[in-house]
Amino acid sequence: MANFNIDAKKDMVYDAIIIGSGISGGWAAKELCEKGLKTLILERGRIVEHLVDYPTMNLDPWDMELRGGLTPKEKEKHYKNIRSGWVGKDTEHFWADDAANPYTETKPFLWLRGHQMGGKSLIWGRQTYRWSDLDFEANAKDGKGVDWPIRYKDIERWYTYVEKFAGISGEALGLPQLPDSHFLPPMKLNCVEKHIKGRIEREFLGRNMIIGRVAHLTQPHNGRGQCQYRNRCQRGCPFGAYFSSNAVTLPPANASGNLTIRPYSIVQSLIYDDTKEKVTGVRIIDSETNEAIEYSSKIVFVNASTLSTTQILMNSKSSRFENGLGNDSGELGHNLMDHTYRVGATGKVEGFDDKYYKGRRPNGIYIPRYVNIDKNSKSDKFLRGFGFQGGGFRGGNPANIESFGGDYKDSILKPGPWEFFLTGFAECLPYHDNQVTLNSHVLDKWGQPTLSIDAEFKANEKALNKQIQEDAVEMLQKAGLKDIVGFDKEHPPGYGVHEMGTARMGQDPKTSVLNGFNQIHTAKNVFVTDGACMTSSSCVNPSLTYMALTARAADHAVSELKKLNI
Amino acid sequence: MDRRKALQRTALLSGASILIPSMLSLFQSCKKENRLDWKPVFLKEDEAKTISALVDMILPRTETPGALDVKADMFIDKVFAKTYDTTGQENIRAEITAFNAECKNKLGAIFIDLSEADRTKVLQEAEATSGKFNHGVWGVSVGKQKPIGFYRSMKSMAIWAYFTSEEMGEKVLSYDPNPGNYEPCKPLSEVGNRWSL
Repeated sequence: MANFNIDAKKDMVYDAIIIGSGISGGWAAKELCEKGLKTLILERGRIVEHLVDYPTMNLDPWDMELRGGLTPKEKEKHYKNIRSGWVGKDTEHFWADDAANPYTETKPFLWLRGHQMGGKSLIWGRQTYRWSDLDFEANAKDGKGVDWPIRYKDIERWYTYVEKFAGISGEALGLPQLPDSHFLPPMKLNCVEKHIKGRIEREFLGRNMIIGRVAHLTQPHNGRGQCQYRNRCQRGCPFGAYFSSNAVTLPPANASGNLTIRPYSIVQSLIYDDTKEKVTGVRIIDSETNEAIEYSSKIVFVNASTLSTTQILMNSKSSRFENGLGNDSGELGHNLMDHTYRVGATGKVEGFDDKYYKGRRPNGIYIPRYVNIDKNSKSDKFLRGFGFQGGGFRGGNPANIESFGGDYKDSILKPGPWEFFLTGFAECLPYHDNQVTLNSHVLDKWGQPTLSIDAEFKANEKALNKQIQEDAVEMLQKAGLKDIVGFDKEHPPGYGVHEMGTARMGQDPKTSVLNGFNQIHTAKNVFVTDGACMTSSSCVNPSLTYMALTARAADHAVSELKKLNI
Repeated sequence: MDRRKALQRTALLSGASILIPSMLSLFQSCKKENRLDWKPVFLKEDEAKTISALVDMILPRTETPGALDVKADMFIDKVFAKTYDTTGQENIRAEITAFNAECKNKLGAIFIDLSEADRTKVLQEAEATSGKFNHGVWGVSVGKQKPIGFYRSMKSMAIWAYFTSEEMGEKVLSYDPNPGNYEPCKPLSEVGNRWSL
C-alpha cells in the first residue's frame, strides 16, 4: 500500500473535512473519496499504517521484557484506561494518554479513547449486529427520549452495503429482533458450547445461543486474509482479518488519490459563517508545534468519537450558536448512554475432560434479546432488554488448587477444567440529566477546555441487571453447570465502551441536534455519524450501525452537494 | 522424545551436582543450600532467597523444568523492580518480612533456615488459610474478592512467570503461535499439555 499523503500544507481548501479516522471516520473517508471529493482527515494522533505500525503483532509473552506488564510510568499515563482491564504492554500504544488528556468524573465514568489513525477501530471488540425496529421504535413506543427519525427500512440496504465490504462472519437465525447480516461463514462453537446451547434452547423456549457475529474474515475477502485464530487482534492483525479503518477503509480512500490525512491535528472548533449560514471550515491546533491553522471545506463530517465530537461542537461557539454549534434545542451534551457491563454468571462444566480445542478463537457466543420483544415476553419490572455474550473454555486458576510440589506442578501442565460464562449487555435509557459539559477550569496539555462527565445508570438499568444475573444463573443451572457464581461488577457507565448520544438524531429541531441523515438541523453541511448521533442505545453492540449510518450520510451528502443544497 | 531425554539428562546431572551440598546439609541442622546464584535488582539477598526457595517448593524440577530452571525467581524480582511503584515495593518487602517473621515465631527460624519438613508445614498451612482468586471475566475478577494474602499471590506470580517463560512456552507447553484454523472439539490426547498462548 502506498504511504498516506500527510502533506496538508499544499492545500488549505477541500471538498470535505473529516474529523477523526476511527470506525465511522474511516467509512466517511472511503465513501467521500471514492465519490470524488477531495477529502482531508484531521487526525488527533499519529499515523498508524497497516502492518508497518503494529510493533507487537507477533510477540509472544517472553518476547516482552515484562511479559505484558506495565511500568509505573506507563500506568500513570493510562491511569484511567487501566481500570478497563484491557491495557497491557501489547496494546499500550493504542490507548490515549490519560495524563495529557484529562476529563472530570462528576460521577464515576470510564472514558476510553484511542488517539491515533484508526482510533479505537484497532482495539474494538468486533462484535457486529444489526439493530431492528424493536430498537428504532423503542423511544416512540414507551415515550422515553425522542423518536428516531429513521426506521430499519431506511438503513437496511446500508447495513448490507457495509457488511459486504467489511466482511462479517456469523450464522443466520431469521429473528426479527436481531436481523441477519450478509454473512461470511460462521466461526464454530466448541463442544462444551454446543452442549450448553442444546440445553438452554431446550429448557427455555424462545432463547437462542449462537456463535458471535463478528467483523472477522472466515475466508479471504477483498484482498484481505482470513482469521488465523491467534486472538491478538488488538495489536493490529498481520492478515488484515478483522475490520479496522487501517486495514479496510483507509487503504481504498487513499487509493482514490483524493485523501489527505493530517496527523497531530487537535480540532479546536468548527467555523460557522453567520452570513452564509453554514460551516466553512475547521480550526486546529498542531499538537506537536502548537500552531493554530484553519482549513476550509464545503462539508464537515464530525467523527471524533461520541464525547469528543460533542466536545468539539460545544466548543464551536459563534454569535449564532452561543451554546455550541447546532444547539438550539439545548440537547447537545445530554442523553449520554452506555451498555451495562460485566454482569452475569460463570460456572464449571463437568465431563469433556478428554476434549480440548486448537486455535484461539477471537469470539464467543451470543444470546439475542428475548425479553420485551412481544406480548408473551413482556416484563413488568423494566423497559427494554438485554443480550448476552459469553463462552466456554478450559480455564481454572492453578494457583487456587490447594497443593504444591512435583506432582502438583506436573498436573497443572495439563489444561484446567471447562468453564462457561454469560455476561449481559443491557440497554440504557436516554436520560436528559446524563450529560457532559465543557469544563474551562481543567485544561488539557494544549490549553483547551475539557469535559466533565455526569452520568449514571438508574433504576431501569439496575432492574435489567438484576434480571440479567438471575437469568444467567438460571440458564447455567438448567445447563447442568457446577460451582455457579452470579456476578455484577456494578460498573459505572463507560466500561461498556459503547458510549452513545449527546448529539442525538430526531425529527424535531426543538428536541434534537441532528436530522434523519445525520445533518445538524441548523447547519446542514455538518454531519455527525459516530456514537454521538444515537437516539437510543438498544442492547445491541452499536459499531455496525455507525458504519451503515455513515455510508448513508455520505451518500446523502454527495447528492446534496450535487444539487447545491448544501 | 529427544527433548524429554535431554531434560532427564539435565535433571540427573544437576542432581549429581547438588549431592555434596545436600550431604553437607545433614551437618547443618538439615538446612537446604541457600546460595543465591543470581543478582537481584530489587530484592535484598535474604528476600531473594526466600522467593527462590518458595517458588522452588511450589514448582520443583521433575521430568520437566522447575521454576528455578526457567529463572522464575529472577523474573519476579524484575517485576517488583520495574512494574511496582514505590508503595507497591514497600508493601511486598513488608509482606516478605512478615512471612519470615511468622516462620520464626512459629517454627523458630526464617523460611530459608527451616528444615524441608518445616517448610512443607508452612506451605501446607498457607494453602489451607490463604484466600483464593475469584473468577475473572474479560481481564477483571468478578464477585467480592477476599484478600489473597502473600502466599497465594506469590504462587500465582510463580505460575505466571513459569508458564510465560520461553522454555515452557515454546518447548514444554503446547505451542502454536499461528494456528490458522479453529478445531472446536479436539481430543486432548492429540494436544497433550495446555496451550501456552
